[in-house]
Amino acid sequence: MPSQPILETRDLSIAFGEYKAVDKVDFLINTGDCAGIIGPNGAGKSTFFNMLTGMYTPTAGAVFYQGVNITRLPVEKRVALGMVRTFQLVSVFDSLTVLQNMIPPVDRFRRQYANKRLFYFGEAESPEVVECCRTWLAKVGIEKRGREMTANLSYGEKRKLEIAMALSLEPKILLLDEPLAGLSDVEIKDVLGLIGGLRGKFTILLIEHKISQIQNLVRRLSVMHEGRMIAQGEPLEIIHDREIRRIYWGAGAE
Amino acid sequence: MGAAVCNWCKRLEMPIIVFAYLALIPLLSVNMASEIIIFSIYALSYNLLYGFMGRLSVGPMLFLGAGVYGAAMCCVYLTANPIACIAAGIVCGALLGMLLGPVTVRAAGAAFALVNMAFNQVGFFMIQTGLAGWTGGSDGKSLYFDPIGPLDFNKPNHVFGLALVCLLAAFFLMRRLTESPFGIIIKTIKENERRGNFLGYNIYGTKLLVYVITAAVSAFAGALYAIMFGYVTPSFISPARNIEVIFATLIGGRGNIYGSLLGGAIFILISSYLPNIIQRWELFFGLILLASVFWFSKGIPGIMDLFGPKKQDVNASAKGGLR
Ligand SMILES: Nc1ncnc2c1ncn2[C@@H]1O[C@H](COP(=O)(O)OP(=O)(O)OP(=O)(O)O)[C@@H](O)[C@H]1O
Ligand SMILES: [Mg+2]
Repeated sequence: MPSQPILETRDLSIAFGEYKAVDKVDFLINTGDCAGIIGPNGAGKSTFFNMLTGMYTPTAGAVFYQGVNITRLPVEKRVALGMVRTFQLVSVFDSLTVLQNMIPPVDRFRRQYANKRLFYFGEAESPEVVECCRTWLAKVGIEKRGREMTANLSYGEKRKLEIAMALSLEPKILLLDEPLAGLSDVEIKDVLGLIGGLRGKFTILLIEHKISQIQNLVRRLSVMHEGRMIAQGEPLEIIHDREIRRIYWGAGAE
Repeated sequence: MGAAVCNWCKRLEMPIIVFAYLALIPLLSVNMASEIIIFSIYALSYNLLYGFMGRLSVGPMLFLGAGVYGAAMCCVYLTANPIACIAAGIVCGALLGMLLGPVTVRAAGAAFALVNMAFNQVGFFMIQTGLAGWTGGSDGKSLYFDPIGPLDFNKPNHVFGLALVCLLAAFFLMRRLTESPFGIIIKTIKENERRGNFLGYNIYGTKLLVYVITAAVSAFAGALYAIMFGYVTPSFISPARNIEVIFATLIGGRGNIYGSLLGGAIFILISSYLPNIIQRWELFFGLILLASVFWFSKGIPGIMDLFGPKKQDVNASAKGGLR
């Protein structure tokens, strides 16, 4: 059975003033796939993600999700369609407890739309919500820290929390922007194991700096350089491509 | 253990609040106690916007004034039934919030503060000059409210009772809102506004709703002022008085609903008694304000923290950017 494309871009471009951060990118990822994007600093990887998820509006081109043009769809509507992301610089709420961080994503399905009254006047930390949050926290192994202020978590734990928040939104496609950046070796192993375990459940697209970290994880790899997608293929093909080696290793990454 | 104690506190909360305000009557006067209560409702509404959502507005008097004038105009031109007048005041505030919110909540930081101030100036001008034919301009209007059965709000005791009931309503509304899932979303807006969108929430709609609730509850307090004082003048919508509720919120502690009650009472006490002792009392007032901005970011409740173990100030590390 040929798989369906879940996310596709055509000619996707954005310019900041004169500077073309992303330039005419055609990209496609199939439902259920696990793919990676690599590229040196400033290649435009995060900017590309920002256009996919609705944070930036492209100056040209289009984004299609399950065949529907979503180029101008607001962020939260994309989330409702199952497009969920994490950020290069971990983004969780330091001023809330770990459990409280989990409540908005967990509640989005459970209560907001089902019962508005509970959303406005219900108890945020009711036993069943707390239980549900803990289940998600347990999946990333930080359930013991639920009552802790998020500000007191290590960077790696915050990353795990961010991933738990993303998972609880029950994505159809999960976009991870450098999920390993800034983590210790042990934490990298944890997070890689976590992502590995998610393969097959839904589509995963992740950005990474170092090919070596993800070459066994992803099935397809795309290379971004100066705003363009210069190659796409299987990880081994990419690694052995002479032109890519020149640009990528020549540029001093790894 | 903590949960059991908490349950007890919650059961006793309402009697304690009622008792505390009743105790103010012999200490001060009925009118002063009523004024504290009404001002505290106003402070509660402002705390939702500033304390919980992190939006500093320098124009909340506009909504207080909308309530004062909504109730007053209803009293003069429509009906002198006090309940109808309160309803008119709330509706005026809410409608004004719905009208201005789509413009104001798009802004943040200084822009939000100033755009609210600008609207406040416009409102003040309209009341004082533009619509002076109806509002009585600078002279204002005196109001007479009909009694409803045995309730006569020309009597200070009855106003006190009304104000206290309204305060309890506003207090428990704010408590429910801030402790609900909605309250958590409001707090996330303070820390990082864009992030909530990526959790699937319409943050613009949330901000608008908070703005309208603040407007409506401020107007509620305004309508009660109209009933309590029995007259209106443009000073009830004067931009010069915006600092009052900001001060009360800072002193009581941002993002703490008990703080609004505390800060509201302290402000009314200071502004009523300090001028008798110190002539240029505003100077003193300014110094307290500076201290609360720079040293006691959690207000008086935060002073306790100075003696406890050092904690990281989470507000200081909140960055609000997404990369
Ligand atoms: N909002 C913006 N305004 C102006 N320039 C921007 C903006 N966002 C990104 N850029 C520029 O676009 C280029 C690509 O940035 P981007 O963050 O996408 O790179 P990246 O591939 O994610 O790199 P890194 O590996 O460092 O994360 C950079 O030169 C950056 O300065
Ligand atoms: Mg990046």
